[in-house]
Amino acid sequence: MRAVHKNTLYWMAVTFILFPVLILVGLFMRAVQADQLGGAQAWFYPMMTLHGVGMVGVWFVAAMACASDILERYCDPSAAVGRFALAGTVLGVLLLLACVFLGRFAAGWYFLYPLPLKGEWPAWSAVTFLLSITVLGATWLVWCLDLLRAIAKKYSLSRALAWHYLAGRGEPELPPSVLIITVSLIAAVAALLAGVIVLVLFYVELLSGATSDTLLMKNLTFFFGHTLVNLAMYLGVAALYEALPEYAGRPWKTNRIVAISWNAVLLIVLFAYFHHLYMDFVQPGAFQYIGQVASYFSAIPAAVVTIFGALLLVYHARMRWNIASLLFFIGLAGWAIGGVGAVIDSTISVNVALHNTLWVPAHFHTYMVAGLAFLVIGYFYHRCQEVARVPENAGAQAFTTALLVIGAYGFFAMFYLAGAYAVPRRFALYPLELNHGAGYSLAALVFASLFLAGFLLYLVSIWTRWFKAMGARA
Amino acid sequence: MPGAGALAFAATLALGAGAFCAESVAGESVERLEQRLRERAIPDIPLRLADGRTAAISTLGQQRPLLVTLFYTRCSGVCTPFLLWVRDALNEAGGLGTDYDVLALSFDDADSVRDLQAQAAALGLANEPGWTLAVAERDAVARIAGALDFWYRADPATGQFDHSALLVAVDQGRVVRALLDSTTGNRRLREMTWELRGRFIPFYRTADGGALRCFAFDARSGEVSFDWGMLLLAAPALAALALVAVLFGVTSRHRAA
Ligand code: HEM
Ligand SMILES: [Cu+2]
Repeated sequence: MRAVHKNTLYWMAVTFILFPVLILVGLFMRAVQADQLGGAQAWFYPMMTLHGVGMVGVWFVAAMACASDILERYCDPSAAVGRFALAGTVLGVLLLLACVFLGRFAAGWYFLYPLPLKGEWPAWSAVTFLLSITVLGATWLVWCLDLLRAIAKKYSLSRALAWHYLAGRGEPELPPSVLIITVSLIAAVAALLAGVIVLVLFYVELLSGATSDTLLMKNLTFFFGHTLVNLAMYLGVAALYEALPEYAGRPWKTNRIVAISWNAVLLIVLFAYFHHLYMDFVQPGAFQYIGQVASYFSAIPAAVVTIFGALLLVYHARMRWNIASLLFFIGLAGWAIGGVGAVIDSTISVNVALHNTLWVPAHFHTYMVAGLAFLVIGYFYHRCQEVARVPENAGAQAFTTALLVIGAYGFFAMFYLAGAYAVPRRFALYPLELNHGAGYSLAALVFASLFLAGFLLYLVSIWTRWFKAMGARA
Repeated sequence: MPGAGALAFAATLALGAGAFCAESVAGESVERLEQRLRERAIPDIPLRLADGRTAAISTLGQQRPLLVTLFYTRCSGVCTPFLLWVRDALNEAGGLGTDYDVLALSFDDADSVRDLQAQAAALGLANEPGWTLAVAERDAVARIAGALDFWYRADPATGQFDHSALLVAVDQGRVVRALLDSTTGNRRLREMTWELRGRFIPFYRTADGGALRCFAFDARSGEVSFDWGMLLLAAPALAALALVAVLFGVTSRHRAA
């Protein structure tokens, strides 16, 4: 049995602590929007910023931890760099906490230029926020490069990208998870470099007062933010390819179609972010069309191929169902459902109506919570249980999963409904015309609390397994 | 903001001698000075109108949004040309008297009702719907000028006023948009009226943004072209590919056969 590396176990602990805290922040926002917390609305935007950056960060590192754990099976990522990534992430989180709690920094998760420099908050809190993003970005860049280095040690670039499959050869075999991780890491390096440029331009303005071009900054910011979130999802899918076969008792192999679909992702995923700029009238028209086409083609082929692959894997197999395999399956569904919501919204003619409504948080919460988070916590459980081998209580696991699913989808449904009824996102309090927004918020508050309860039950069940894995580590 | 009645716009406008313009702009861009006026509350001062009636600013803005300009009748400088420009530009833009009104307020309390009437006649505005000329007490003018950072000073040598030029648009007693020291801003004035009438005004700033703009704009030819910033968008992707290629290239030398 392959032991779980200490770093991976620490990443799990980080996720298990930060996720519930950030869910509480989400509940807080819904409570304010439901008009249940009079007087606290001044904290809405700092908390929205903390929640957004925090969640994006947590699930990016959690997915990276899965990737790193998978790679350990095939090659040799550096443990020292892994520790460095942990330390850098903790430092970045501390800086983030300082700027939102002490400085009330509130520019939202993608800190769109020039807002960070123009807000009501003190200048030091904007600087602290930018430093936090700098520390996180630089740390993750080093981490990504080390994982790529580890892949390179074992595979040539063309092998790691499965180009020999494209040429019709099936040898030597390449695990699909390694292909997906390679594709994702290459794109992640590009995204993080875009982040570096944005941050440098921010610092230049802070130091010299030289302003930047707003259109350029918005493009670079979404290149950075959108792409990173997008890739975190793909890393979660890699975990699915890696672990689901163990429950189906059959291998899930790379083939030509899988190779084509993920190489297509590499080719176009960097252009999908243009869909964040549909409302920017100065953005060249051609980019808008590229954005729509790239949004479709960076999502649909990989999703369809993966879903077909997963169904074929499970079809007539003697599936072993536990909370991990359930979460894998439901996570795959969440990716697809949220993906449909996203593709709808990335269609320009529809975006005109849905832009910046709650439809947007609706779709990204669907594939982030019911997609990525489910896949990752499924994988974490899978790895701990693989080592700990504690007897499982099927009823309790089914109940936990049901709570998570009902809580999550009830909570999403309120976002979707509100979005379809034109309730804008990012409103702390809804004005009279949007009074229905408060009702949806209240219902969402209840559902999200169920989700939190489900997650706490999940923690209860993984608790002993995590400690055993800690004891059994190499 | 489509209903004209829901909006109250005030645009105060005055134009300074060239020397003054330079002074007012020193250090801070006109644009920033204009931005700073947004959301300012307009004090509701009493006015004496050219037809002899008295009225408060708020009653003038009750029906429709209001554009307010500041001038004085004896001005041998920019006031008259400026009012003419406003008149013509608004005629071109349309909507005056139906979507919004204009108040030209004299900041010289020596102006009498008769002076106002003469000025209106000279400008061909005497019977124009939508135009109101008015004068106010010295204190009242000082309050509105203070609220709008409007600068004026009597010059004993010439008997004239040094003053700046300002046009502000006020929504329910608050400034929504301002035009400062502009004699050539036909387009911007037209946009101001569009905004009054609830239209979306696309705006992209090309004057700033250093060397790394996405677009360059040639004011003379009106042409827009790509600039270096657009190229920078390709940099992360190209750099990432190069980095990965180097990484794999270097590591391959140590790869187990
Ligand atoms: C499961 C519990 C969660 C709850 C209750 C929750 C709640 C919320 C709420 C109420 C908002 C504000 C919506 C608005 O604009 O009005 C929000 C925004 C957001 N959430 Fe969540 N969320 C949860 C999970 C997640 C996860 C797992 C992610 C992972 C990426 C995430 C990422 C974000 C982001 C990026 C924003 C946008 C922030 C911004 O507009 O700057 N959330 N969430
Ligand atoms: Cu004058």
